[in-house]
Amino acid sequence: MSWAAQWFKSNNWEPQPFQKQCWKAYKEGKSGMLHAPTGSGKTYALWGGIINELKANEVPPKGLTALWITPLRALGVEIQKATQKMLQDCNPELYVGLRTADTTQSERSKQFKKPPFGLVSTPESLHVLMSRKEHQHYFGDLKVVVIDEWHELLGSKRGVQVELALAYLKSFLPQLKVWGISATLGNKVLAREILLGPTSNFAVIDAKIHKKIKVESLLPKTMERFPWRGHLGIHLLPEALKIIKKNKSTLVFTNTRAQCEIWFHKLLEKAPELAGSIAMHHGSIDKKIRLWVEEALRKETLKVVVCTSSLDLGVDFSPVENCIQIGSPKGVGRFIQRAGRSGHRPKAGSTIYFLPTHALELIESVALQRGISEQQIEDRTPYLNSYDVLIQFLMTLAVGAGFYPEKIYPLIQSTFCFQNLDPERWEWILNFLLQGSQSLEHYDEYKKLIRNEDGRLEVANKKIALHHRLSMGTIVSANDLKIRYQKGGCLGTIEEWFISKLKPGDTFAFSGKILALIRIQNMEVIVKKSKAKQAKVPAWVGGRMSFSAHLSELLKKTLYDQQSLKTPEFKSLLPILEQQQKESILPQSHELLVERFETKEGVHTVFYPFEGYALHEAMASLIAYRISLLSPISFSMSFNDYGFELLSDQAFDEELFLAHNLLTPEGLYEDLTQSINISEMARRRFRDIAVIAGLVFQGYPNKPKKAKHLQSGSQLFFEVFKEYEPDNLLYQQAVQETFDHGIEHGRMQLVFEELEQKKIIWKNCNHPTPFSFPLITDRIRSKLSSETVEDRIKKMYLQLEKYA
Amino acid sequence: MVTLEINANEFVLHPSGAVYWREKQTWLLADIHLGKVAHFRKNGIAVPRAAEGSFYQKIALLLSLFPVNRLLFLGDLFHSTQNNEWYLFEAWAKKQPYQMVLISGNHDLIPPWKLESLGIEVVSEQQEAGFLFHHFPDQSTKSFLFCGHLHPGVKLTGAGKQQLKLPCFYHTSTQLILPAFGAFTGLHLLKPKATDKVYVSTGKEVIEIVERV
Repeated sequence: MSWAAQWFKSNNWEPQPFQKQCWKAYKEGKSGMLHAPTGSGKTYALWGGIINELKANEVPPKGLTALWITPLRALGVEIQKATQKMLQDCNPELYVGLRTADTTQSERSKQFKKPPFGLVSTPESLHVLMSRKEHQHYFGDLKVVVIDEWHELLGSKRGVQVELALAYLKSFLPQLKVWGISATLGNKVLAREILLGPTSNFAVIDAKIHKKIKVESLLPKTMERFPWRGHLGIHLLPEALKIIKKNKSTLVFTNTRAQCEIWFHKLLEKAPELAGSIAMHHGSIDKKIRLWVEEALRKETLKVVVCTSSLDLGVDFSPVENCIQIGSPKGVGRFIQRAGRSGHRPKAGSTIYFLPTHALELIESVALQRGISEQQIEDRTPYLNSYDVLIQFLMTLAVGAGFYPEKIYPLIQSTFCFQNLDPERWEWILNFLLQGSQSLEHYDEYKKLIRNEDGRLEVANKKIALHHRLSMGTIVSANDLKIRYQKGGCLGTIEEWFISKLKPGDTFAFSGKILALIRIQNMEVIVKKSKAKQAKVPAWVGGRMSFSAHLSELLKKTLYDQQSLKTPEFKSLLPILEQQQKESILPQSHELLVERFETKEGVHTVFYPFEGYALHEAMASLIAYRISLLSPISFSMSFNDYGFELLSDQAFDEELFLAHNLLTPEGLYEDLTQSINISEMARRRFRDIAVIAGLVFQGYPNKPKKAKHLQSGSQLFFEVFKEYEPDNLLYQQAVQETFDHGIEHGRMQLVFEELEQKKIIWKNCNHPTPFSFPLITDRIRSKLSSETVEDRIKKMYLQLEKYA
Repeated sequence: MVTLEINANEFVLHPSGAVYWREKQTWLLADIHLGKVAHFRKNGIAVPRAAEGSFYQKIALLLSLFPVNRLLFLGDLFHSTQNNEWYLFEAWAKKQPYQMVLISGNHDLIPPWKLESLGIEVVSEQQEAGFLFHHFPDQSTKSFLFCGHLHPGVKLTGAGKQQLKLPCFYHTSTQLILPAFGAFTGLHLLKPKATDKVYVSTGKEVIEIVERV
């Protein structure tokens, strides 16, 4: 019996088959991939193998042996505790360290002087470790890297960070084992290939744990007062309260931090007796408070926690009894993950309540249930050619030990992300770092990297090294300010643009409290508690989430399926569906509905392809672009998961639209490129790229003023590149990313081929219809115009200051 | 171009952001921020160099438009401490036959004697013909004020939820704030009062915005 098996036995636990399989595969020296959901015992499946190997060796290793990478800091704490527990029973001399952005400086240097046996960390912190001069020595004894929740990292640029780090570690540790842990994915094989690289010595282990998930929609009593639009769902608060009161513990999932704050307040307002047993958890709240909430969840001392995706993953706290999802979760995978928070014991079922925030979301609820019963989970699209992450990584190596370009190039090409990086673009990247992407000029003083005599690239000076160290990490944070009380006590962080709109004395809701602004000093917001009842709620700039392709497919099926009418959700929707039918029509599967009506805002033309927010954004720009070629016109566009709206001051007519076959898939790529260039999509992508590639320097911590002459927005960079250096790879990356991730170009082609077959139903309506309502009232809009600026100005006016 | 008459003097607003004072044959230029691109590049941030070069092309065009006596820089001529961009400017400045005056701005860190060695007079403000020239806006001056500093811009709205953000000349009863002349400079949006006049520049034309809400 292996040591881990004995350890399980001494704890009165029975190892599960997949755990034994992992221990065996690990012993055989394999790398591998474990598909297992959270709470299934996946940590010990791998850690057990690692400890077995430790036990088999006579002399315990001196250096760092196992590295465990997780996407979330909150997860790190939990994993460190679990692994430490097992390790201590095996060898009390050894320890597991935790290294994240929250780790103190003294703890960090302790970990470096006396390396732990295992280290739990994040992709960003791993890169920080590689920026140290002695990192090759530090990692010298490393045997294994475990990448936890790989499905979460895969579809993000942090996944690219992991790819680069692994390729680099393998270059001087050829025996290194790599293990991934992932939930079930649509594209399992690709996920494995990207992580493990070209190796044949691997195992794939499936825990085969399928939880029963029960979904129940909370339905409004009457449809009359149920909103057609909105995203808060407060209307159904009494129903939510009933569930909360009935159960021992409930997690309330919201989609944004603002929604989280509002729900927390409203719950307390309605049920003051919850005080003391209600808490909130989101990414901007101070770490101490977050840790306290997680601990309280573990001890089962809280009745309800309102949270965002910050509690989506991992954290094996003991199960809550119930979960409530407020508004659309946007994907089947995320919904299942959230449902999995309840009934956490292996084999126990989970219940999740779906609380729709507006009428159409009831259709979504039915679609989600369909997806769950079919056990279908989305693919994750990995990033390709993320030059920004590559530039950051090369800088990271340069500030540490430096690197030899000819040695590093093949290693970079071995990753999935940069498999097509040809010598020409590699030269461009090097030139960007050495000469700021210009040819050598007498006057130019560009400084970033220098080449020393033996050909190694190093950072040019200490100041540049410092700038890089301060701005490492892929997750882009806007300019965050700390919030604290006058007497001290940090509450969390808040984005600068929100605070800049407040005057001293104004109140706002944060971390479940109502606070009054006293002043802003040294990048800190000084506040005091306020007794005010009304307060602004900060809207954090979080990206809007779009339906996955999968969910929109399910949604269409649901909508067109007569069977759906029998569900309780559709029954309660009936009044709205009837009104839609009366004002316009309910489209059938072979039809594309286009509605046209006028309001005092202008002429509205609304399309309903039901393909998800991201695709609609691109389709709106594309169709606006094609119309604008026919005659000068300006559009303002809005989009949601169901359709999109083109708003203009002049009408384009139906015959013109139909006669020109504007929905053809022909020339799709060219027209999309044009419309992306004109519209805002690429510009928004560029914001992250500029920060990751180190173009936007965010300043020194606590010394905001010193860097003032170096501050400039990504917008300005985008403009300057567009005008003066359009062949810049970072600029081109913004356009390419818009294609690959923003609008999923491959899918777009299919959608247009389908659309071409559909019958266009053009309805001239007298009023806005129920379907159109959420669209026309949306304030987040995009613009596209084929009129000259001068002509547009002549039709415009100035907004005057209110108190003038 | 739009011509304003202020206290019986004529001022031409040019789409580049510069203002021509006809009586004194003087170009007023605010916030050029020379060397900003070079400053960024020196610190490892690769802004295209071509963005800086556009200054010399833009100003050459202005000098060919009207008879010129003098160039009056309303502050922030240079973005930061001296870098190699200085030598390009030096070469250009030495060739100019005009009188040149710099009114110091908050960014102007280059020692005055260096500028004076090129024949550029450096002052903190200038009184002339009943007008005041200064870097910073100030509502309380007795004389009508020409200034820069803000990089003013406005947001325009229109039917069909149209919006545009553009740099502008911002004209109140007591001052005219010039837009930034430099290429790699941002925009600070202002909310006009009913009595203020706003002239936006599209780069090709200067247009007064009359319609208001």
